[in-house]
Amino acid sequence: MALFGSSEKKSEVKTEFMFETDSIVNQSTLAKDIKINGSLESTDYIDFSGHLTGTIKSSTINLKPGSYVNGTVTADTVTVEGEVDGDIQAKDIYIKSTAKIKGNIRYHNIDIQNGSIINADLFYSS
Amino acid sequence: MDGNNTEMDENNTELSGDEIQSNPIDNDAKAVNIGSGVRVDGRIEGAETSDISGTLTGTLKSSNININSKGAFSGDMSGQEITISGSVDGEINSEDYLIVNNSANIKGVIEYASLQVSYGARIQGTLRHRGTVQSYTPISTDEVKEDEISENQEVDQ
Repeated sequence: MALFGSSEKKSEVKTEFMFETDSIVNQSTLAKDIKINGSLESTDYIDFSGHLTGTIKSSTINLKPGSYVNGTVTADTVTVEGEVDGDIQAKDIYIKSTAKIKGNIRYHNIDIQNGSIINADLFYSS
Repeated sequence: MDGNNTEMDENNTELSGDEIQSNPIDNDAKAVNIGSGVRVDGRIEGAETSDISGTLTGTLKSSNININSKGAFSGDMSGQEITISGSVDGEINSEDYLIVNNSANIKGVIEYASLQVSYGARIQGTLRHRGTVQSYTPISTDEVKEDEISENQEVDQ
């Protein structure tokens, strides 16, 4: 009984966010020492701390401090704490103070913390 | 927030009125205030604080700039501390910090040292960070410099 109750509550909460999951969020974590040449794709949640040349695509992407992406980042929600050289495309973009971005940013909602270094073209899309 | 600010401003002017027997609108304050519904065309320079709630078209140079939520600006603006809650079409040049509130709608080029954007703000255009070398020096000279450096290194070796 208690289990059922708690899972129902969780799913209610999650619908408020953009997770389209019934139960568990698939979370992938890629550590600092990972280097990828190519494309990285997921349907849920990626915590990325490594180096990537290519494309990264997911529902939620967290680019951690120290991470570096040269290429394209596509997601519903992107949090940038590392360095991006290329294009970012997302509905919600959160740029933290440690972020360094060069390229194009396509967004619907954007939040930028001071301290971040951005040299980019911004495109608002409804 | 706005209500608090105006109350504070009123208190300040009352105080200065007591100390110095002068007009409440002190010339030394170098303050520009464009009220909502007011339209101004032209060039403003040397201002200390600029509060824009109306419509301003032209050039604005002021160390402190506030474009309030009802305010609209089109043209070039430069200052140290800039806060934008209204709409801006043109160029923004901030030497110190730039705060973009969620009601803001900006089109154009933004040059900044420190930038804070609230979730919900609309920005369409180019962001340039001051102090990033590539935003100041043209690419061609960069290439020349790199060539020179690499040549020097080769000579050293």
